[in-house]
Parts: sequence; C-alpha cells; structure tokens
Amino acid sequence: MTNVAAKIPVSVITGFLGSGKTTLLGKLLRHPGMNRVAVIINEFGEQSIDHDLVQISSEQMMVLDNGCLCCRVRGDLQETLVDLWMKRRNGETIDFNRVVIETTGLADPAPVIHTMITDTSVCNTYVLDAVITLVDAVNGNEQLDTLEEPVKQAAVADRLVITKTDIAEPAEVELLEARLRELNPHAPIVRCVMGELDPKLLMDVGVRNKAASEAAIESWLGSQAFMPIEGAGASLRPDRPRPLPRGQHTAGVDSFCLYYDRPFSWKTFSIAMEVLTSLRGPDLLRVKGLVDIEGERGPVVVQGVQHLFHPPVTLDAWPSDDHRTRLVFITRNIPRALIENLVGAILATAPVGAAAAAPASTPPSTPSAGPA
Amino acid sequence: MAISGNLGGGASPSKELAFNMKLIGHHELNGNGNVGEGISIQKLRDGRRILWVAHESAPTNFTGIDVTDPRAPKVVVQTALPHSRVRSNSLDVVGDVMAVAYQTRDFGGTPAGFELFDISRPEEPKSISFFDCSGPHSRGVHMVWFVDGKTVHIASGAADFEPHDPRDDQMYRIIDVSNLSKPVEVGRWWAPGTRKGDAETWRTEPGGKELGKTGYRVHNTCVWPQRPDRAYLGYIDYGAVILDISDRTKPTMVSRWTHKPGFHHSLMPLFSRDLMVMSDESTTDGAKDWPMLVWMLDATNEKYPVSISTLPMPPVETFGQRGGRYGAHNLHDNVPVETSACSDEIIYCAMFNGGVRVYDTKNPYQPQEIGYFVPAAPALSPAGAAQMNDVWVDEKGLVYAVDRLAGGIYVIETSF
Repeated sequence: MTNVAAKIPVSVITGFLGSGKTTLLGKLLRHPGMNRVAVIINEFGEQSIDHDLVQISSEQMMVLDNGCLCCRVRGDLQETLVDLWMKRRNGETIDFNRVVIETTGLADPAPVIHTMITDTSVCNTYVLDAVITLVDAVNGNEQLDTLEEPVKQAAVADRLVITKTDIAEPAEVELLEARLRELNPHAPIVRCVMGELDPKLLMDVGVRNKAASEAAIESWLGSQAFMPIEGAGASLRPDRPRPLPRGQHTAGVDSFCLYYDRPFSWKTFSIAMEVLTSLRGPDLLRVKGLVDIEGERGPVVVQGVQHLFHPPVTLDAWPSDDHRTRLVFITRNIPRALIENLVGAILATAPVGAAAAAPASTPPSTPSAGPA
Repeated sequence: MAISGNLGGGASPSKELAFNMKLIGHHELNGNGNVGEGISIQKLRDGRRILWVAHESAPTNFTGIDVTDPRAPKVVVQTALPHSRVRSNSLDVVGDVMAVAYQTRDFGGTPAGFELFDISRPEEPKSISFFDCSGPHSRGVHMVWFVDGKTVHIASGAADFEPHDPRDDQMYRIIDVSNLSKPVEVGRWWAPGTRKGDAETWRTEPGGKELGKTGYRVHNTCVWPQRPDRAYLGYIDYGAVILDISDRTKPTMVSRWTHKPGFHHSLMPLFSRDLMVMSDESTTDGAKDWPMLVWMLDATNEKYPVSISTLPMPPVETFGQRGGRYGAHNLHDNVPVETSACSDEIIYCAMFNGGVRVYDTKNPYQPQEIGYFVPAAPALSPAGAAQMNDVWVDEKGLVYAVDRLAGGIYVIETSF
C-alpha cells in the first residue's frame, strides 16, 4: 500500500490475568468515542464481557448502539481480521475505521505483534498503531518479579495503564509506576479506575503519517525520557519518579537510548540490526528509533519486537533540527555496552563513506547515550 | 472462523461504502444525472474551475459545473441535444476548446460526428465547427480523445466505410484540428477484415462459429505525449491494440492482445514502468457477462504484451446482484492536461455498482486496493444501485466520478 496512513490502524490491548482488560472493554464498548471501531474480544479471556451488553451467545459479532462493532473470536486472529475486512469491503458490516484487539491475559504479546507485521493478508489492510498494556496496581509488582509475560507486556507497550489504583496501597502504586517507567521509559503512564479511560488514549499513537509532527514523533519515540536535566544529577526528567530503591529493579531488563551523529547507509544499518536480532532476538523486547540514512531527506522510522521489524517508514522531513539517529532499546539480559560494541564493530568494517556513523562522543547537549 | 450476526451492513445498495475515500460534494445535475464517459476540467483565466460532463443519453448534451469550491458544485450551463436519437457520451477539453462526440442510434442518422466549442465563457459555449461522420453505415462518434489542441482521435464511422457487420461500424480516425474551423481527416485504421472489400474477415472462425458478439469496433483511442508515435486502442471484440502512427496517414498495427472476444474498452500504458492497464467494460445487468476485469499487462516488449495480474474486485456473489451492472469500465486515463493527475502506480477505476475503486500497482503482480467509494443508490436510479460510469482525478488528487443513470457527479477526497 502506498502509505501506512491508508491502512486501518489496530490497537492491541494486553495485560496479565486480572489486570482489568474486561472491565476496560466493558466501558469502552459503551463509549461514544468508539463509533466505527471494531473490537475483537478474545473468547478465551478469563472473564466474560457483560452479557447484557453483548448478546452473542449464538452470534459472534454485532453492532452496538454507539456504532461499535463487537466481535468475539475463538479462532485465528489473522482469519478474523481478513474476514472482517471482506465483510467491510462487501458492505456487509459498518465501515469501521479502527480495530481494537484484546489479547488473552496469559499471552506473550509478541506473536500478535508479529502477525500484524508479517502476515501479508493482514498487513495489506491493517497497520499496528499501538500496544496498550494494563498493569494491576495490586498485583503488578509481584507479577513483574515472578513472571515473564508481564515484563514483556510492559516492555512492548506504547501506553501503560495502571489499574485498580483505588484499592492498592499508594506506596505500591508509586513503586509500580517507578518500575514501569524504568522498564519502559518511552511509554506514557496513566492511571485508571474501573475501566474509565478515554478511547483517544488508545488511538493514533504510532507514526503512521509521513508528515507526522514533531510532537507526534517525540511522543511515539519517547527518547526525551532519556534526556538529562541539567543539575538534576540523576539524569531524570523532572516528572520522573524518584529513583528506585535498591532491590526493586526488574531483574535483567534494561532500557536506554543510543545516539549517532552521522548518517548510516541503509545497508550498514540493516546489517547491524540483522546481526543483533539473529544473536539476541528473543531478548530485544523492543527497539524503536529514527535513523539518519544517507540520501534520505527525512528520518527513517524503525521499530521492532524481538527478531522482527515493522516495514520502515521514511518521513518527509526531520521533525526538528536534531538530525541524529536515535535508537531506543528495551532489552533483557543484554548490557548496553554489548549493543554499542556490536554496532561499532559493524560500522568499523563498513566501507568508508558508506558507514560514516559513529556514536556521538560530544553531542550538542546530551551524552552519547541517555541514561537507563 | 465464520462471522455472522447483526453486522450493520446487509450489503444494501442504499448504503454508501467507503474506504480511504470521502464524499465532499455531489450534484444531481438538475434531474439530468445520467452521465456518459466524458469528463474534463477547464481552468479559466479568472481562476474558476469548470467540470464538463457529457451525458449518456438524450435529452441533455453536456453540462458545465463550477467546481471552484468542490464542496458546492454549481451548474453553470446545460445544453440539449437536437433530438432523442442521438447522444454525446464523450468530451474532452484543452484550454478553452471542447470537443464533443455525437453518436446516433440509427445508421445514417444525424448529427453524427464531433463538434468543437469555444468555452472561454462557459455559460455560453459557442460552436466553432462540426466534423461530419454521418453516412449510410455510420452512427458517428462514440469517443473523442483531444488532449493537445491539435488532433482529435475518434472512434467513428464514416460515410465511405461499409463494414461486413453493422456492429463493426466504428474505426480509429485521426482528425487534424490545427485549424479549429476546418477539421481534416489525416488517417484511419480498422481491424483488418471488418470492412467490406477486405480480404479477410474476423466475424467467423473456420467452421462458421461466430466470435465476438459485441462488435469489432474501436472504443478508446488514446495517444499520450510520451509516445506520440503510438496509439493505444481498446478495440471491443478485437483486443487491446497498439498502433504505430509515426506516419499518421498510414497507421500500422504493432501488437494486439486479447483474453477473449469481449469488451476491450481502454488501454493505458504506464510508460515509466513498461506496463499497460487494459480495462474491460461490463455491459449487462446482474453481471451476466462476469468476469469483466482490469488487466495488468507487462509491455517490456510492446509486440508481445503479457498478462500478469488483474485488479482485485469484490466478489461477484455480493455485487453481482446489487443492481444494474457490476464489472470494470472506465479508468482515469492519465489525461495529459494540467487539470488531470497522472500516475504510473495508482489506478482509478469506475466499476458501475462496485463504485470507484483505487489500486496501488507498485507490485504489478499483486495490485492492492487502497480505496473505494460506492455511493448509495441514487433516488431515481432504475438500477436501484449506483452505476459509476467514469472517473477523473484532478491535479490536486480530488476524484470526480459520475453515475451512468441518475446520480450525477460525486466529488471525493482520498486519504491514501
């Protein structure tokens, strides 16, 4: 397709068992802002959606009063998305302009994201816009300590929603928020009680428009989260929570932003990412960034989850005067130095002129890499 | 997984369907919403933009609509035909000059030919000249192609042309209009064997079985500035034809590609990519002639075009019974004038009750639909469904589509 903006955006809502997805969906399905949104609800969710709201004991799909298309599935997500599109094209359903997918609480979200990136029949029509992860304030800290999926769910999020803050201890909520911010600094965090959430928060998150604004790009990339504040000492944004107490970090998970002053050739950059993903793909929980590619007017937007990357999108122009390549990583058991060294080694072997990029040693206002 | 239940659709023709396309303006042309396959936009010196459309059948000849504000189209002029057994159907505009086709129902009828108008004052089109194509075996002109101000390429009969079969009456004719007051024919070409006196005939194959039933006559006759020595013809039952017109007095065939004797309507090259797009026309209600498709052809060697894909259309099971015709028809022909968009990748098609559909052919082996707009059935349409007949895309990317029976003009914004 010509432009990702022409595809139907998909928001994925994920979160561990009991994180409040069902409550959130119950409210969302009634919200007037959900007009022309198709919501795909996973039939294997831990709890049924309010049956007064969605009478689909024999029907798997229906349009609600607010114009929201509610669709329950038992089977394959790809098939459902393709079938939905065919129904829309044939005039057999509403002209939905967005899809929201609820994933099962136990699931690793990566496969759903990979489907959105790689399945031709899906990505011809749809584009992944945002991953929204719900984290339960009551159990979230413990889940992050003991389970793998909640960590991955938080790492891949574009938006983090802390639920049940009304019944959790305030200190637990603060700690959870601090841990999430450390784990995934680029994702804005909101608190939510009883599923009361503005649907706008779930929408138009990704950089889907080649002429995206600076604010939209920075919001998506979140590299500002890594910018040091003069005099702050701890390299934190003023609104960042206090540093975590010792022993409260999420084991093995690290996040950081690397900057490069000079442009890459696309080939060099691709090789660097291919080597990285083939060596440590499973532990690259999230990569996203703006890349300065030789010969391109604007930056190339890249993003990946584990070993798979979305198709790159070249923007029409840089959003600001800062044309440095910036890459945000959220990793598991991969030290930052390893990635720096690996990219450095590939750059060193690239032909002169084709790989002029090097980590910025004296960046204009920031160190070469933001603090984790 | 099968999806069922109340889906808010029901595939009703009264429901508008849209994807990446949004209706911003509509005009039913004062009850004369039956538009043919002639659309063009004139840009006046005073800044106004006039959309000119030819009508599919009498009583209306052509209509000029001020679309300076495309959200509020206004009819500025509407003209009448001299009688009900003639139709204009096709027109083209270059600067302040408009060529309008006239085709009669009856052989030997008049006016049969094309007329040139001075439209510098759109409210009062003034006839400059009339090129007569009438004759005992002629119905006149079905289609005009007028993009350079000097030549009108037409699908037409002629007084001195007698086909073996009356259905084969229209051939390709090149008319020099350098002097707008005195159009002069400079060359012509017809499918060999269709004219009485030709050595061969295309009507029957060995054994006497009849081939095409629509007609071995030409429909679209297009010449683009990228290849002024080539004419690209949709030659209904004969095929998609490339002609060498470097000597305009003696056009010769370079190649002919056909899938079956059927309705070859338009042939449009994508010059920068060595590709061509060939559009069929569906001519029967209820998609009885399905499949009528748009074909992607590899033209690396223009002598041997190769079919590599067709543009994907919604299932005939759904649209075939929606009302009226369903299938391919006109393309936006990358008309080489300043008010027209030209793209070698994005293809716009008018597909009757399938609406206007837009395709990205970046990968020509797997073209993708990137937008569609199917209007709700016009109130008085005898088909009970939209019948998108032709489409024009202006230089700003706005899409102008027309209904064949009743709906008039639709102005559509795209977001792909």
